[in-house]
Amino acid sequence: MISIKINNDTFEVKPGTILLDAARKNKIPIPTLCDHEALTADGNCRLCLTEVTVNGKSKLVTACNYPIREPLQASTKSERVIAFRKNLLTMMLSRWPNVPMIREYAEMYGASEPAYQHPQRNEDKNACILCTRCVRACNEITWEEIIGFAGRGATRRVAMPFDEQYDRCIGCATCAAVCPTGALQVYDEANKPVDAKRISRFGLRLASELATMDHEQCGMRRYGTTNLVGIMDAYDLLPTHNYKFGGHAEAKNLYKEVWGTLFKPHTPDGCWAGCIMSCAHGIDDFELKSGPYKGDKVLVDGPEYETVGGCGSNIGVFDPHIVVELNFYCDTYGIDTISFGTALAFAMECYENGILDKEKTGGLDLSFGQGDNALEILHQMARGEGFGVVVGQGIRKMKQIFAEKYGADPVFMQDIGMECKGLEYSEYVSKESLAQQGGFAMAQKGPQHDEAWLIFMDMVNKQIPTFEDKAEALYYFPMFRTWFGLMGLCKLPWNDIEPADNAQTDEPHKVPKHVEGYINYYSSVTGNEITHENDILNQSAKVYNFQRVFNIRMGFGTREYDRGPYRAMGPVTDEEYESRAERYDEQLKELVGVDPTKLGTAEKKAALRKYREEQYEGLMDAVYKRRGWTENGIPTLETLKRLGIDFPWVVDVVKPHL
Amino acid sequence: MARIDLKSLGAAAKAERERLAQYKGMLMVCAGTGCVSAKAFNIRDGLNDALKKHKLDRDYLVVATGCNGFCGQGPIMVVQPQGIFYQKLKEKDVEEIVESHLIGGTPVEKYLYKDISSDAVIPQMDDIPFFSKQKLIALRNKGLVDPESIDSYFEREGYSALAKALEKMQPQQILDEVKRSGLRGRGGGGFPAGVKWESCIEAVGKTEKKPVLVCNADEGDPGAFMDRSIIETDPHTVLEGMCLGALAIGADEGYIYIRKEYPLALTRLEKALAQARERGLLGNGILGTEFNFDITIHRGAGAFVCGESTALMASMEGRVGEPRTKYIHNVESGYKERPTVLNNVESWANIPVIIDKGGEWFAGIGTGDVSKNPWNGSSGTKVFSLVGNINNTGLVEVPMGISLREIIFDVGGGIPNGREFKAVQTGGPSGGCLPASLLDEPVDFDTLTKAGSMMGSGGMIVMDDRTCMVDVARYFIEFLKDESCGKCTPCREGNTTLHEILTRITEGKGTQADLSALADIAGVMAEGSLCQLGATACNPVLSTLRYFRDEYEAHVNDKRCPGGVCKDLITYTIIDKCTGCLLCKKKCPTEAVSGAKKELHVIDQEKCIQCGICMDVCKDDAVRVE
Repeated sequence: MISIKINNDTFEVKPGTILLDAARKNKIPIPTLCDHEALTADGNCRLCLTEVTVNGKSKLVTACNYPIREPLQASTKSERVIAFRKNLLTMMLSRWPNVPMIREYAEMYGASEPAYQHPQRNEDKNACILCTRCVRACNEITWEEIIGFAGRGATRRVAMPFDEQYDRCIGCATCAAVCPTGALQVYDEANKPVDAKRISRFGLRLASELATMDHEQCGMRRYGTTNLVGIMDAYDLLPTHNYKFGGHAEAKNLYKEVWGTLFKPHTPDGCWAGCIMSCAHGIDDFELKSGPYKGDKVLVDGPEYETVGGCGSNIGVFDPHIVVELNFYCDTYGIDTISFGTALAFAMECYENGILDKEKTGGLDLSFGQGDNALEILHQMARGEGFGVVVGQGIRKMKQIFAEKYGADPVFMQDIGMECKGLEYSEYVSKESLAQQGGFAMAQKGPQHDEAWLIFMDMVNKQIPTFEDKAEALYYFPMFRTWFGLMGLCKLPWNDIEPADNAQTDEPHKVPKHVEGYINYYSSVTGNEITHENDILNQSAKVYNFQRVFNIRMGFGTREYDRGPYRAMGPVTDEEYESRAERYDEQLKELVGVDPTKLGTAEKKAALRKYREEQYEGLMDAVYKRRGWTENGIPTLETLKRLGIDFPWVVDVVKPHL
Repeated sequence: MARIDLKSLGAAAKAERERLAQYKGMLMVCAGTGCVSAKAFNIRDGLNDALKKHKLDRDYLVVATGCNGFCGQGPIMVVQPQGIFYQKLKEKDVEEIVESHLIGGTPVEKYLYKDISSDAVIPQMDDIPFFSKQKLIALRNKGLVDPESIDSYFEREGYSALAKALEKMQPQQILDEVKRSGLRGRGGGGFPAGVKWESCIEAVGKTEKKPVLVCNADEGDPGAFMDRSIIETDPHTVLEGMCLGALAIGADEGYIYIRKEYPLALTRLEKALAQARERGLLGNGILGTEFNFDITIHRGAGAFVCGESTALMASMEGRVGEPRTKYIHNVESGYKERPTVLNNVESWANIPVIIDKGGEWFAGIGTGDVSKNPWNGSSGTKVFSLVGNINNTGLVEVPMGISLREIIFDVGGGIPNGREFKAVQTGGPSGGCLPASLLDEPVDFDTLTKAGSMMGSGGMIVMDDRTCMVDVARYFIEFLKDESCGKCTPCREGNTTLHEILTRITEGKGTQADLSALADIAGVMAEGSLCQLGATACNPVLSTLRYFRDEYEAHVNDKRCPGGVCKDLITYTIIDKCTGCLLCKKKCPTEAVSGAKKELHVIDQEKCIQCGICMDVCKDDAVRVE
């Protein structure tokens, strides 16, 4: 700690503390114009100049960016400081005599008159005072660098390149939010929303949260979704070796810190220009080691968390370069990284279990962790050659082929083949969260978490203990999340950044302030006023039920298709059970009422499985009830009627099942 | 060409020496930017033709050198080894010189230098006062090497300091010599180079980032051409200096930031870099050792503020060239947040000599005892570009501590046309104007700063008694107003407001309140600007207010311009010395002069625009300005 004196008071500060922060923390006022809490200090307005004496030498420094590195005496109101500020404000006032912020300070320091004749005198009270806040906001918050300065010296002014309307600017209005004088205002006229200002108001709230709090919350701007790898690993949720385990000693090689060194920093890589979260990241100049582009240096878009899980830990690969190369070739070939990873993980477990061998794989060792062979399978898949053709058909087909051709045990493969409704699971271990088991297996399109991600609510925070609570969550979240798809909105800004006081709200998992934002967006874009989250849910419910009806028509819409493989619910193998024996034993004792000490692993496994499968059936009953479906998962006529989708051809689909 | 290593460097020098020894003499044609613009290349070609014609091309070698320094007398040619100095040559004069001098043995008198006061011919360059009072370190090879030949530099013991350092010195010893020399930054700041390097080495230790070297060749002061000339004259000395710096601080990456407006310097630099790489003086394994270092040229787009270190680095990084606050120094976090040593061209050019002759030798030149504290004096020499109302216009290198009077009156030959000295402006546009009473002050960093000016990078503009100091201040502020980046309030608004007030005063519309406003604004700029451009921009105003307040008072109180410059405050009249030659009448652009031949002419004050052409053309000194 460093001992400093500001005016007559002594404080202890950490080395590197900014003088202005130290003063503010201790309620010592220092006037500022260009400073803004969300932006890097620029030190351009010079109003915060403070007299600092170090080793007997005194100088004026800008408090806003002066790092305290040694003991010092600072004076915020010495004669020298006051005289300087007065003269500085006289100069400002001479150019902008009517800007309220300047007038206020000027009066405070006794500079009442615009004493000088200024050739660029501007009487506007909303005049731009060149504080650079907007330019910094565009560069630092949105990373777009759309506005900058044109001209030099007194002709300096905020402008877009070549003074032309730059079409990358989508009017995110972050610049307007930080403007201290109102010189910069943004109106969205292009899309003719009903109430543009209201949209701006809520947009700015979100923009400012992202700019100021993301680095302390998820770090999406820096690391994107890879911030999750470490968290999932810590909570035993990172799918490893085909979901057998939830973490690995080597998983650290795939943590965000590693990606942070590989990602090209500060590249605006949002899905749309102006996205402040910009969570998509890329790796530049990546040299490929295999495949048709071997030796080329390429830009890789990603990886995302799910790619790291699927093309990394789940297939036992912990070399980030293999993950990136798989990412690149999946993108290039048009193959989904999750389906690829989960399908290959299944094939690898089959290989390790003797279902497959080198003869069947065309000579490839498909043990977990064989990164180069994983790449080879991917290239084969794209070329339509070799064993890649088999893996490329997905888990559901592989199960069939392995049983028919190699006599593999269909029951075992059903247990470990992580697919449901024919789609491969996404990359979270759901064993310890009953609600998420439902979130995956009951999802309409297959086991994807974009309907519901309830693991933390359920398993860690224990916010939804009963069947009814879980059923409510499996009603609310699928409806709420479906609404994002209906609106064409991204879900990430909803809960990957949370307001500072979110934890103090009644339902923090819903992020009530953001729900309020979405209600307002909808109303002010369309003019169709909605006021409550139920309005949102009702909009979705029609579509959601319609999706269910579609599944029924296609033959995947009944209860049996809402059951996932047991691997998603609990330990299939002895190895799995034993790796987390303490946890499972305790559950047997506490929840199942069985004394584990007297049982062998196989018996304990069976007892746990029986319990978990019963729990799941109970969950399905509760969820179907909440959704207004029959025990077989069919929307009742009443439900269809209530939602106004009881069209005759819809009724025709469901009727045979009622 | 073969790569040079530690062993073969001497042989390369010897080979070049032997090559030159075959000639009876050498004709050193100045090919600095000034002489080139006066068609020096035609003279070079003409000489070659004439030599061929007279079959002398095996006896004499024509060398296009860098700037000779005596720019006002260009185009220049020096016949070596005798050192006969020819000036103001034209292409047609060449034949005569070859015939009379080279064949006949008699130098052609009419092209030789004549002493200003006595009019006596001075054939030998070294006897000309302009040269005899100079002491050359940075410019030691001027006029003696071919800037486009690395062998020519070898011949002048070039790269021997680097060889010495690689062979016999540890990085610490190089640093120690530079520290011992007391060398202070020649770019204007006067920060001790050794201290800077040492802090950088410390920062490298702390941050574990690779350091970077930068050479600042973004000389932007109007009327200043020291750095340009050094590069045009002897580019390898800059490269050698940077190699030594890289060796001392452990850098393998260097940059030269040079302005695009210096095409000749740029070409010669590019050639020098290519030759140095080819011969193993840059790149991997320099001089056959394990030392790796290379230099990249970064061309500036010509903003004055980009000479400021942080703005320069912003520009190098591809951002707008604007400065940042320097609470964290470049040596800690500069170019791309790496520890960065930035020195200007002249500083780098001094380094090889310091390593060659030792820091102590260098410290022995100049003022003060810098052996323990580099701030205690100004060691070595300084290059100045001497321009304005002065007889000997050109580039001079003089020992620190020499008086302004010696530079202006001895080296510079005094004020032309018998006029009086009024002021000298040092330190570029943001320097100050010093009056005759300070002519005997020594020229060093601290004296100039104390006097309200500064060393700057070495511009020196001499002004005679027909200069209006208010107008001079206005001129420099106008330049600075245009060059201010506009980032910080004091510099942006200060320069604008100062300019407005000064313009009004020169128009005779100033008030006493304006004079105190000037001081207030200048005070805000000096104390509160973000970078040194703004902080020193007020110098022209403050120094003229301090030393020439009477001129301000005359403008404000009496609506009079004592220098006879401010158009709104002066009238031109023709007195009875007029012989009625009609010349001023012919030249007057507004037809304000009337009068018949051999009759007294009269100026119509309604039509007169105070351009002063009548006065300039009058042969009878009959035009008066009041």
